[in-house]
Amino acid sequence: MIPLEFVLIITSVLFVIGAAGVLLKKNAIQILMCIEIMLNAAIINLVAFSTYFGDGTGQGFALFAIGIAAAEVTIALAILLNLNKLRKTVDVDDINLLRW
Amino acid sequence: MDILEYAWLIPVLPLLAFVFIAFLGKKLGDLNGYIAVGGVGAGMVLALWTAYELLTTGRIYSTSQTWVVLSNEYTLEMGVYLDNVAAMMLIVVSFIAFLVVVYSTAYIHDQGPRRHRYFTEICLFVGVMLGLVLANNFFQMFVFWELVGVCSYLLIGFWYERPAAARAAKKAFLVTRVGDVMFMIGLFILFTELRTFNYVDVWAALDTADPTMMAFAAFFLFGGAIGKSAQFPLHDWLPDAMEGPTTVSALIHAATMVNAGVYLVARSFPIIATSAEVALFVGAIGGITAFIAATMALCAPKIKGVLAYSTVSQLGYMILGLGAGAFLWHHGHHAAGSIAFGAGLFHLMNHAFFKGQLFLGAGAVIHYVHTEDLAKMGGLGKYMKVTMITMLISCISIAGIPPLSGFWSKDEVLAMTFEAGDAGLTFMVLWVLGVLTAFMTAFYMFRMWFMVFGGKPNEGTVHATEHGHHKHEAPIAMLIPLVILASLAFASGFSLFIGDGFFGAIYYGDAHVLTIGEKLEEVFTSPLTYISIVAAVAGILLAYFSFYKSKISAEKVVSKGFPKAMHQLLLDRYKFPQAYDKIGYVGVYGFSLLLDKFDRYVIDGIVNGIAAFLMAMGGVTRKLQNGFVQSYATLLVIGVSVIVILLYVVGVLR
Repeated sequence: MIPLEFVLIITSVLFVIGAAGVLLKKNAIQILMCIEIMLNAAIINLVAFSTYFGDGTGQGFALFAIGIAAAEVTIALAILLNLNKLRKTVDVDDINLLRW
Repeated sequence: MDILEYAWLIPVLPLLAFVFIAFLGKKLGDLNGYIAVGGVGAGMVLALWTAYELLTTGRIYSTSQTWVVLSNEYTLEMGVYLDNVAAMMLIVVSFIAFLVVVYSTAYIHDQGPRRHRYFTEICLFVGVMLGLVLANNFFQMFVFWELVGVCSYLLIGFWYERPAAARAAKKAFLVTRVGDVMFMIGLFILFTELRTFNYVDVWAALDTADPTMMAFAAFFLFGGAIGKSAQFPLHDWLPDAMEGPTTVSALIHAATMVNAGVYLVARSFPIIATSAEVALFVGAIGGITAFIAATMALCAPKIKGVLAYSTVSQLGYMILGLGAGAFLWHHGHHAAGSIAFGAGLFHLMNHAFFKGQLFLGAGAVIHYVHTEDLAKMGGLGKYMKVTMITMLISCISIAGIPPLSGFWSKDEVLAMTFEAGDAGLTFMVLWVLGVLTAFMTAFYMFRMWFMVFGGKPNEGTVHATEHGHHKHEAPIAMLIPLVILASLAFASGFSLFIGDGFFGAIYYGDAHVLTIGEKLEEVFTSPLTYISIVAAVAGILLAYFSFYKSKISAEKVVSKGFPKAMHQLLLDRYKFPQAYDKIGYVGVYGFSLLLDKFDRYVIDGIVNGIAAFLMAMGGVTRKLQNGFVQSYATLLVIGVSVIVILLYVVGVLR
């Protein structure tokens, strides 16, 4: 069986890649994808701990999380679509409506 | 029935008249005067009865009720304290006030609707003054003291549409306020030191109290008297207070306001006697006041001006007597101190009668000639015989010619001051000032009398006689009080010889009983008596030759050189009004300007500065809100990372 540490290291790496993408990428679609990566890192963690403790609850939660992530992606994509329609761009540097 | 149990009604009766006139009197016209006479008169009857009971039995009656409980140790009370001094004050205040009110019914007759206001205020004035006399503690006295101040303000400003009257009222109120603040400081000291205001408790606690604090308390209490009794250097409001109706002047000068200050000194006499310095200070203020006020009276151009300065001067005598008494008492001469205490109050009583008479007489004169200027009068004796004779009696009395009342009390005050001179040399100087004052008193009173009644009729007299509405003397309601007061001015000195004598009834500590023979012997074997008689006679003769016989021309004397400068200085009242204005404008107003600047620039500066700082800070920090979601996320990640690292460092996560 794969030791827990291995999985945790991989998910950490995944999470950091996702976070870095969220902070650095300029394209909103790419940012959305990076968020998905971070989410998946968390879901893998849930599964890993579930296996480690021999308890199915974590895997159940993983399924929920995947479902919720799918719903969230649809909403996010809908927002981006509208954004593109209104401002003809999905570059986050051009969108600063929440300003002082 | 014990009349003393009903003594609290004495101030209540005039106050009832006050309430009645104030709320129902608007349409009553002349009737208001009679209601006031009724209220004040009923108060007077009760007061005289009470005083009779007190003086014949020598009882001391006191009741007290808790009024305000501040804490267990600090309580304010209200009550009645009646002793011989209160009895004397009751007689003086109620009786003269009654006569003044009777006189007013005629004097104020042509004032139309103003009469309503006048009688309302007069009743209040008399009521609160009687309340002041009855008080059994310093705090209650202070309450009435302030009410007396308010009434004097209202009455001095009776003709409020005249700027001079409005100014005079304001001045009287503000100048006495300086004294009132000192009174309050004295009260605070007493209360914190002794935890009581009750006269009896205060007097009893003096032996164990801290002498330094008691000296301060005495000093500040006397400060209150300086303001109210118009003592140097707060005397200047009293001459200005002549702007009110003459009856009000009579009331203020003879019966109420100024006597309150002397009464306060009498009540705080034991406290003053604890400190030789304060007693000396009291005496010195009295002597100086007597002297400088008399000098100002020498050339006052208006009839009421002369009387006003004369009042200030005579009040100085009273304070001098009380100060000398406290000084003697402090140095262990208890018998002499007790007499000096009595002498001051004796002079208060006699002065009340003759000064009340003089003011009412002056009112009758002004009523006739419609001017206050002495130079425009003259020759009035032909038309106003009763006024002339009654005023002559009062003038002789105040000048101090035996056997009229002023002689007995003034002589006693001077004799006691001389005696205090043994213990402290300053009183010797004050005695000299007192004798000079006696000389000047005789001079200025007779100057006034000759200028009004003697000589040829001047323009004012001529005008009044030919065109005036009154070709006869004042109405009967004005003449009767004049006659009564003149007979008392003549006779009140003989109270020395009734029963145990005045000093056997009004004293501090122990009574000083002398038979008539002993008293006469004591007075007339002393060379001091003759000195003061000579001074008085010299003053009268000087006035006679310069203002009746015109042998000495007063105009010529003051026409050039030093006398001229002096004359001008006296007419300018030693520049006291200007000094007050200077203090007012430069001192108080300047200080206020400074405070204004402080408020504007320092206080407002701090408040506005804090606001401006926060706005500037906001301006800086709001730049962080740049609208880029990524930068928020960056800050969030950095923040969380820092927290995690810190938690790791401090060991929570290890």
